[in-house]
Amino acid sequence: MADKVNVITIVGSLRKGSYNAALARELPKFAPAGMSIAAAPSWEKFPIYNADDQNAAGFPADVTALSDAVRAADGVVFVTPEYNYGIPGGLKNAIDWVSRIKDQPFKDKPVAIQSATGGPMGGARMQYHMRQAMVFLNAYTFNTPEIFVGSAHTKFNDKLEFTDEAGINFIKQQLAGFEAMVRKITGK
Amino acid sequence: MSNVLTICGSLRKNSYNAALARALPALAPEGMTFAAAPPFGTMPHYNHDDQDATGFPASVMAFADAIRAADAVVIVSPEYNWTIPGSLKNAIDWVSRMKDQPFRDKPVALQSASGALLGGSRMQYHLRQCLTGVDALLFGRPEVIVTFAPQKFDDKTLELKDQTTKDMIKQQLEGFGKFIKKVSGK
Repeated sequence: MADKVNVITIVGSLRKGSYNAALARELPKFAPAGMSIAAAPSWEKFPIYNADDQNAAGFPADVTALSDAVRAADGVVFVTPEYNYGIPGGLKNAIDWVSRIKDQPFKDKPVAIQSATGGPMGGARMQYHMRQAMVFLNAYTFNTPEIFVGSAHTKFNDKLEFTDEAGINFIKQQLAGFEAMVRKITGK
Repeated sequence: MSNVLTICGSLRKNSYNAALARALPALAPEGMTFAAAPPFGTMPHYNHDDQDATGFPASVMAFADAIRAADAVVIVSPEYNWTIPGSLKNAIDWVSRMKDQPFRDKPVALQSASGALLGGSRMQYHLRQCLTGVDALLFGRPEVIVTFAPQKFDDKTLELKDQTTKDMIKQQLEGFGKFIKKVSGK
């Protein structure tokens, strides 16, 4: 097989015990042999986007670091909760910053989306908002299988390991499909 | 009489949306007054751990108090990447966690301006979905969607000069005034 495709995860929650952060940490276990997965640099320290600040002081180093990581990756997996039926503001602020950079890093980038929530819908409403934003950014968003982890509190153990058999199978399928898509698009 | 809080989704000084918000008092029905919401640009990113450790930041409290004190809210916001600006969404995410959640049963109208032909409408429908999540009472039509904004505001003063847009806003605010009375009994 050719080189491994390298994928980064961008997590939408800053909470330490976040199920989404936990899910992102678990992904290497479920990844196909041809894919490596690492965490993206954090967006935690990004300021709130203001075009005046961008014009006056340019892009903060943290924004550049995330942009560089997205550019360097063959693919990106968002793993994020849903806040108020939409994308967490903090994560969207990170995307807004990155979107303003020349050589916009999400352009033509393969992207997959996963979400976990305590409720039954598993973040679906957030995912379709994210898909819409990714259209503007001209990313290649992976279709199915979609990963919605509902009732997340029942699907992780005390160590925050993901234990749901059906969910694990879907994730394996998604990541295998995503690898194929990444290879098709990047020619890697 | 109703006091309406405007929340502008852009922090940029020469924002068309900020200019739109400033245009509202002159186009409002009698008895409707406006005040601008406290800024949300200094709010930290929402982090549940921080909320648990140190409670709600003063900027979040001020923002929530202003919403609570208002009879109604008009959100005037640009569209970023075909959806809600992260900064504005972060402010909504913060206040959504509060006891006595300020958007609950609050009448809300939406407006947006953008440089292109869809005028921020994609953002508005996402905002409608998110405000459903916080149990706001959303005003329906007429919608205020200001397309090709640079043609509709004065280059230098940023004053709204397009008559069709002004008429649309007048109609919305008149309808919103009635809506506020109906849903709040005020």
